[in-house]
Amino acid sequence: MATDVMIQANGLTKRFGVVRALDKVNFEVKRGEVVGFLGPNGAGKSTTMRILTCFISPSTGSATVNSHDVFDNPLEVRRSIGYLPQRAPLYTDMTVWEYLKFAAEIRGLDESTFKKRLKKVVEVCGLAQSLGKDISTLSHGYRQRVGLGQALIHDPPILILDEPTSDLDPNEKAEVLRYIKEIGKDRTILLSTHNLAEVEEACARAIIVSKGRVVADGPLDEIRGKTGRVRYVVTIDEQRAEAGNKPPAAAQALEALQRLGGVKTVRELPTDEKAHKFELSGAQDSDIRAEIFRLMVAKGWTLLELRRDAQSLDVVFRDLTRGDEKLDRGANWSAADEAEEDADDKSSADEDDEDDDDESDDDDEDEEAVDAKSKGKS
Amino acid sequence: MSPTLIIAKREFRSYFDSPIAYIVICLSFFALGLMFFFLNGGFWQLDRASIARLFESTPMGLSFLVVPVVTMRLIAEERRSGTLEMLITLPVKDSDVVLGKYLGALGLVLVLVLSTLAYPLVMFKFPWNLGPLDGGPVASGYLGMVLFSCAAVAIGLLISALTESQAVAFFITFFVLGALWLFGDLAGKASASGYAGLAALLNYVSFQSRLNNFWRGLVDSRDVVFFLSVTVLSLMVAFRALERRKWA
Repeated sequence: MATDVMIQANGLTKRFGVVRALDKVNFEVKRGEVVGFLGPNGAGKSTTMRILTCFISPSTGSATVNSHDVFDNPLEVRRSIGYLPQRAPLYTDMTVWEYLKFAAEIRGLDESTFKKRLKKVVEVCGLAQSLGKDISTLSHGYRQRVGLGQALIHDPPILILDEPTSDLDPNEKAEVLRYIKEIGKDRTILLSTHNLAEVEEACARAIIVSKGRVVADGPLDEIRGKTGRVRYVVTIDEQRAEAGNKPPAAAQALEALQRLGGVKTVRELPTDEKAHKFELSGAQDSDIRAEIFRLMVAKGWTLLELRRDAQSLDVVFRDLTRGDEKLDRGANWSAADEAEEDADDKSSADEDDEDDDDESDDDDEDEEAVDAKSKGKS
Repeated sequence: MSPTLIIAKREFRSYFDSPIAYIVICLSFFALGLMFFFLNGGFWQLDRASIARLFESTPMGLSFLVVPVVTMRLIAEERRSGTLEMLITLPVKDSDVVLGKYLGALGLVLVLVLSTLAYPLVMFKFPWNLGPLDGGPVASGYLGMVLFSCAAVAIGLLISALTESQAVAFFITFFVLGALWLFGDLAGKASASGYAGLAALLNYVSFQSRLNNFWRGLVDSRDVVFFLSVTVLSLMVAFRALERRKWA
């Protein structure tokens, strides 16, 4: 079965001076998997990809790609992968055709194979009109396509794509995602992105990294379920009510919803003048739609919308990577390095607890707590 | 074709895809013509059918203008624009990248050096025939110039590998090659003032003093080994500088 594991990272750690960009990262990608590699900026996504492509070396730990070690056999590793670095840096003095030819020559493709592959790549990446153009005259979206083209030119078993859809317009994005899904059937793809909708579209599995650590790794459904909460959206008419009752003020409705059993948090969503809209979260295994309906009937309010869905991926993402955000906003971590590390460990432990026993821990509450602390300080 | 040659070919062609090759070649020939015919001690003033002046002026022009301009972008620019990542993650060794870029740049410089062969050919063969050409010193002079170009381009490449800025690479290369050239003049002054030890040291490292022997038709193995050692050493350090990205 070992041959089925195409990418394996074992305890990858990378330090840049005192900064620890990666901290014991472990994961595996199997043949035929399309894996989304997610994380906030600076979480270590690109660093990981650069290690896997042997552009830089890890401080400790090891990685194998297509069963070649990145230390011992970098050339074999690079032969097995097609890599698109962030922002697709290309030689701007070459034409698209010259560039693809250059990549193909270095990869040792002969003339007839190159022609065959070029045809396919041009079709997939939509480059037919721009083959003869100088890369310097191309828009960023087209450069991205050329970058993708050079990654595909040798038909590699593994693709590593660092933000392949950034700077593409919606049509191009859809096209690239469609293609990724298509080639992902018999290839291994690791792609990083900020756009969670794309991950939901193209990937079956995601790895979420935060501050150099893997905080979640698994099928998307599993990750979505990680916070153990369900989301409800309730919209109430703001101008009319049933049978002589008064329509509620926002605060009134919010309070009533908060008092319902099983509701963990309530947040008002922005709407127009006609309605109040709230987002509620409740435990995964319960359903409080009936309670909400009964509340509306009892109060005589007009219910315009009631919807229940699983926690969306970006809420999970925000939950899992909140530590980063807190630090960036100057939350109350100790300045000393050791203390900071302790605090980090503790916070990740806290997050785990929260996942396990469904402890209510609302974003708003957190922010208030932080505010209170900083006020206390000043 | 090996990756080294493919990279060298791309590098060489890219000079001609941008205006840089044409500007460098035109300016160099204009400056060389000026130096050779008119400026102090030039062809018309000297009134002697000699091309010794060519061997003095060309390496100076290479040191102060051509090599810094040609080598400044080699690695610095790739590092800045991020194309280095694209290049190195292709299945190439770091040594392929260093050698390929070196050969590409050296190719352009050699095109320039060899096209100065027009001077002796035009003056002594066709259409003018100013007298019999003394082939020995011309051949050794060109050998010296080729060896000098190898060393100078290697130094330029090394400096380009150490920085991200083309401008910084240009000025440092200009300064280093300029100093190695001017040490020859300094050595003359030093020995005139009686500092024999200093003069010997300056002569030892100066590219100008080393080339002097070649102009006179003297191919000394010490000079050949000197230029080749500088070349190899610079390339090895450039290789290390490129490899440093892995650990920094």
